[in-house]
Amino acid sequence: VSERGVGRRSFLAGAALAGAGAAIERVAGGDGASASATGEASADEARLAHRVPFEGRHQAGIATPRPRQALFVSFDAVAEDRPALAQALRALSERARALTAGHRTLIGNPAEGPTPESGILGTRVKPDALTVTVGLGASLFDERYGLSRRRPRGLTKMPTFPDDALVPAECHGDLMLQLCANTEETLLNAVRDIMRATRGALAARWKVEGFLPAGRETGASRNLLGFKDGTSNPDPATVWTREGGTFQVVRIIRNRVEFWDRVALSEQELMIGRRKDTGAPLDGRREGDTPDFAADPKGDKIPMDAHIRLANPRTARSEGKRILRRGYNYSRGVDEAGQLDMGLVFVSFQRDLEHFAAIQRRLAGEPLVDYVVPTGGGYFYCPRAAADASDWVGSALLA
Amino acid sequence: VTGLMPLRLLVGPVGALLVALAACGGGGAPAAPSQPPARPLSAQNPVSAAAPPATPAEYRTPIRAYRRHVSRQLARMTGDVATLRSEIAAGDLRGARAAWRVANARYQTVGAAYGAFGELDRRVSGSAAGLPNGVRDRHFSGLHRVELALFGRASLADAAPAAAGLAQALERMRVRVRTLEIDPLEYSLRAHEVLEDTLHLQLTGQASPWSGAAYDAVAANLVGTRVVLRTLTPMIDARSKAARRQAQRSLDELGRALAQLRRRHGGYPTLQGTPQRERELIAARVAAAAESLAAIPELIDPRPPLPVRSAFGKDPS
Repeated sequence: VSERGVGRRSFLAGAALAGAGAAIERVAGGDGASASATGEASADEARLAHRVPFEGRHQAGIATPRPRQALFVSFDAVAEDRPALAQALRALSERARALTAGHRTLIGNPAEGPTPESGILGTRVKPDALTVTVGLGASLFDERYGLSRRRPRGLTKMPTFPDDALVPAECHGDLMLQLCANTEETLLNAVRDIMRATRGALAARWKVEGFLPAGRETGASRNLLGFKDGTSNPDPATVWTREGGTFQVVRIIRNRVEFWDRVALSEQELMIGRRKDTGAPLDGRREGDTPDFAADPKGDKIPMDAHIRLANPRTARSEGKRILRRGYNYSRGVDEAGQLDMGLVFVSFQRDLEHFAAIQRRLAGEPLVDYVVPTGGGYFYCPRAAADASDWVGSALLA
Repeated sequence: VTGLMPLRLLVGPVGALLVALAACGGGGAPAAPSQPPARPLSAQNPVSAAAPPATPAEYRTPIRAYRRHVSRQLARMTGDVATLRSEIAAGDLRGARAAWRVANARYQTVGAAYGAFGELDRRVSGSAAGLPNGVRDRHFSGLHRVELALFGRASLADAAPAAAGLAQALERMRVRVRTLEIDPLEYSLRAHEVLEDTLHLQLTGQASPWSGAAYDAVAANLVGTRVVLRTLTPMIDARSKAARRQAQRSLDELGRALAQLRRRHGGYPTLQGTPQRERELIAARVAAAAESLAAIPELIDPRPPLPVRSAFGKDPS
């Protein structure tokens, strides 16, 4: 009954858009006046204007193309009760709707109090291909909010795999917020906005940012080991649950790049199973060639323990259990020994988390494990999208 | 001039570092003229096309010598662990901690990098990473389980059963090592992988989180690396004396830095208790040594040579 009233004041930013008309006028003018006529500028404009719909059957940011930048924040729910939590998720969707659609920035007025929006994007918040994807962790479905009977079937806490070196401070969480866009500043504006709108209900637990290489080559993008990654991805239509959701795996996988750079090319290629230059499988000529493992039963061309062979053996059994990878490279600082901390934010979507776990089991102990160290991440369930302007992501599970 | 040949090999990050050191009087090499550092990457690799391919048979003597080293060190470690257990039984926490450091460093001289001894290595010296229940996991055992008891929990009662388990695991390992086959390919990597492990596990504090006994282990890893390099010296020298000298020089540099650290603090300080610049120096020396040792595996690769091809453009030289 009281759902709409509860915690309304905590989510002021969610309401700000509707209210402060004066603010809109205050930032008007000067906008777009100096639009350059060059092709480059119009290409930039086109990218900034690119809008990915927030509503629909499936959440955006899963089967939609990957823009260049991504930001992942894991939250723990700290809302008082379930109505307050539901209110926060509704606010999250409201802000996501506004941010992904684009709008004129509200920077506020004198004597009106704190500024409604950060203003870091200037006078207009442009869509910039922004997607806001919400995933829910198994820990949310405990007694705190009376959700234990609503836990999506198959959603568990991410297990510790044998080659993991997990850092508790960057594992798990009640809610995963995945933001993707063409530019980093769009993400930073969005995350500030959304965190503000859900303050008091969602406490940030860990965050990692990712990027993709500029389009300097055709085909799949390169990871920070220098190899083309994500060459073989299944049809996105295979990842949806009957409800229209999907399970998300996020893994922070550090690459020991200094060590890797000290390894001979031939060794690297044997560990991966692809050529470094073309991305072709070692038994093929082009990146898109399908490795023929049946014709190489002893691993003469592609070793039996090569990464691509273990990850996707291309048997009839593995074919039905493939995962949609949507990862990003990351880079952030150095460790205590002065070694670079960079690698892959591995992200995959699948209709069953067991599909991912089966791949992990096959990869256990592969030669590559000396060079890659999973340090964090979690398992989440991404519910179906908000159906329309009055719906919100998670409504079916939480309302 | 004899100095020219090694200098040619020293182009690139390691070379630049060593040249810089020489310029400030830190190394033995003469100050280099302003050599253009623009040589292609492939030219840094001192593997000569004329080098005769190595064969698995050549590895018999080195591996035999290495196995003798491992047996000897494990025998000494059995004594170390006996001391550790008697200190624990005597109720002397300080004595037990000191004995643990000795045993841990002894094991680090073995050079069991990258699970070279598989499950046995895990039982003797495994970490809690990768175990479902972390440090509370019943499979967490061996040296670092004892470390947790002695340094993390200061509990001799907790340490006693863990030390008994360590003694058992060590005995099994000693028996196993006598008949253990070491693959030549794996052994060809050992010379640089020991220090790669040092960088990743010891110098980040991951290996010994409760004792901070990183530098004892680094010094021990240096001993292990020297042993491996010594066994491989005839094989390396037959292909490139310069590569071996370069590796040795970088290990000497590391040895000097460790000796200096130890002198300054009257024994090795804990990792956490070491000032940043001193920590940086050791890490940089280990990293530079890893760089110079990384040339060795390809030089003595025991497999039939691969057809030559250039993946990323051709070497203009």
